[in-house]
Amino acid sequence: MPSGALLFQSVILGLLLGGLYALLAAGLTLYFGIMRVVMIAHSAFLILAAYLAWWSHTRLGVDPLLSMVVTVPLFFGAGVLLQRLLLARLRAATLTMMSVLLTFAIAVTIEGLLGYAFTGTQRRIQLGYGSASFGLFGARIAVVKLIAFGLAAVALLTLYLLMKKTTFGWALRATIQHRDAARLVGIETEKVAGYGFGIGLATAAVGGTALALDTTIYPSLHWHWIGPLMAIIVVGGLGSVPGAAMAAMVLGMAQSLLQIPLGTTWAQTIFYLALFATLAFRPQGFFGGRLAQRF
Amino acid sequence: MPSASDPTVTPATTGPDPAPTSPEATTTAPKPPTAAAEPAAARPGPATAAGPHPAATGRPESGAAPDGGTTTPATTRVLARGRVGWIVRAVALVALAAAVLSFPSLAPNPYILSAGVVVLNYAVLSTSWNFVGGFTGYISLGHGALAGLGGYGTALLVTKAGLPSFVALAVAALLVAVLAVPIGYAALRVRGASFVIVSIALVLILLLVFQSWASLTGGSRGLVVPRPFPGLLRPEHHRVFYFLFAGLLGLALLAWWLIDRSRFGLGLKAIREDEDKAEALGTPTFAYKLVVFVVSAGFTALAGGLYALWFGDLDPVFQFSILTGSYLVLMALLGGVRHLFGPLVGALVVGIALEYFKVEFGNTPLHLVATGVLLALVVLFMPDGVLPAIGALANRLFGTTQSSIREVTAAQLREERTAGARVDAVAVPGGAQPTKERP
Repeated sequence: MPSGALLFQSVILGLLLGGLYALLAAGLTLYFGIMRVVMIAHSAFLILAAYLAWWSHTRLGVDPLLSMVVTVPLFFGAGVLLQRLLLARLRAATLTMMSVLLTFAIAVTIEGLLGYAFTGTQRRIQLGYGSASFGLFGARIAVVKLIAFGLAAVALLTLYLLMKKTTFGWALRATIQHRDAARLVGIETEKVAGYGFGIGLATAAVGGTALALDTTIYPSLHWHWIGPLMAIIVVGGLGSVPGAAMAAMVLGMAQSLLQIPLGTTWAQTIFYLALFATLAFRPQGFFGGRLAQRF
Repeated sequence: MPSASDPTVTPATTGPDPAPTSPEATTTAPKPPTAAAEPAAARPGPATAAGPHPAATGRPESGAAPDGGTTTPATTRVLARGRVGWIVRAVALVALAAAVLSFPSLAPNPYILSAGVVVLNYAVLSTSWNFVGGFTGYISLGHGALAGLGGYGTALLVTKAGLPSFVALAVAALLVAVLAVPIGYAALRVRGASFVIVSIALVLILLLVFQSWASLTGGSRGLVVPRPFPGLLRPEHHRVFYFLFAGLLGLALLAWWLIDRSRFGLGLKAIREDEDKAEALGTPTFAYKLVVFVVSAGFTALAGGLYALWFGDLDPVFQFSILTGSYLVLMALLGGVRHLFGPLVGALVVGIALEYFKVEFGNTPLHLVATGVLLALVVLFMPDGVLPAIGALANRLFGTTQSSIREVTAAQLREERTAGARVDAVAVPGGAQPTKERP
């Protein structure tokens, strides 16, 4: 039986990790809600943002957090363009399948370009406060992990406020709920869908910066992220943001706790087990999931 | 690798850096089969659309009504075209088979022959993929993992259980087919998106398991598979496996063709066009999808196992690579998923391109970029593949007859309708409904 301090440490780490998962899964859920698109390239953009943070730190000597000033607007624009120029061109009837292939192609292209530009070497940001940590009831918490969680939390809160309190958020939610009806009441759904994609990709920029703070990055890392994220959005019920956030916290915690008896590699299987169990027993997902039943 | 074989083939078998002429040879030498295959495979395009699809009248969703309204001359013309098409197709098929079978004796060196084996392996895999992707429209990115399972299954049965190589191959394929039942059960209960997610998850989880479970699988160090014909020299080994792969390809194509003509295939295509309607008309959609997924998994595992026996060395990173799965999709889409020979044509193009890239650029990440860009271009601009494009071109050049039953998707019909005037919709009584949008 592991000691109480170790358990507590794992719970804290699980919470911090779950926060990052939740932010990234929120982006994926947004795409799925808007266009029924399973965005495979989400985690590739995540790694791209992490690389940009690393690059700006090593080459320009800027704090990685500052790189968000550039990456967030950049990714927002990229998201809008991605939706308007590429995804909107696909045939409606085969959109779900073809968009997977298209975003897969984008992911592979990004991975290849990253490998070409920065080589396959593993990179890590060396920060002055990188090794700093503080104790909390016997658990040691790294400051960078806390910063990463803080970033994720702030971004999620911003997303929530944006969706609930602004006119644009209303329009976006209306577009997600019923596109035709939204168009009937005068919402420019095409434009709103594009901006929605931009916001989704902007979450990847924030997440990538948070990731770069305390993780070693390499071009093919995105495959390690896309699996868990896919599992999270299915368990949460495709298209449900709160569901995805709940699933992210639960699974992140489970992963962190299972690392004690199983080790890091086998602990990852919890995501896939949860994915298969969800599809076998409750295909619409465990939380929310009003949309998933139809897909 | 037995050292006995090495002296005979010193220059060429070493792989990535053969003699300077070799890269060119890679591109030029396999040309004959490509050139022969394209017209051969192009023929069935218009012909299948025109001729022997008696069962297709029963397609639940394609408006069969205009068929009844056609005048007699048109019908006879279609029939005559069907007969001519049949002969052309038979000739083309013989030519294709001859081209495939004569390749080993034409190949200038064992490296080219081994490249031919690799391309044939891709052709079998992507034809196997097409059982699911082509008939039902469910796109799986995880078929690479099924092939990897077949490979590892064969290898483990040979090394740990001591079975003879080809018995192990059959048993492994059977086991993978059995394993495909629960996988398919989870993946196919819901539509589209979840299926893709499961197929990706399958690759990732198997990679994880096979890398970590080193005591059984050898982990990242790999697993050496004993060769089934220890007495053969390297070029002979390639030649034997070339014919084995060709035989398997023939088998897979035959199975695809039989399903294509059957009532079962009809039901699968109905699922592809509109799953709700197919279900409403009484097609047991879930059972059909599951059966075809299992068949596809079995063929994929056979190809993977045969590859393991040929190559003799398995590494989880390559066996359970999501990239392999995407190559298969790319090949099938490029060739045309609705066509028997589509995946084969795609495999010829993409397989040769991949070999060429490996020789020309070595192991740079640029092949990822090339794959990604090509896949994106195909998805965006040619989602039906080159065979339909060539077929349409041939139709425009050689004949103007519109076939009685159109092999078009519901989406194309819908687009045509929305683009064309409403008058058209009146003229086609059978199918003005599908304008209903997806909920």
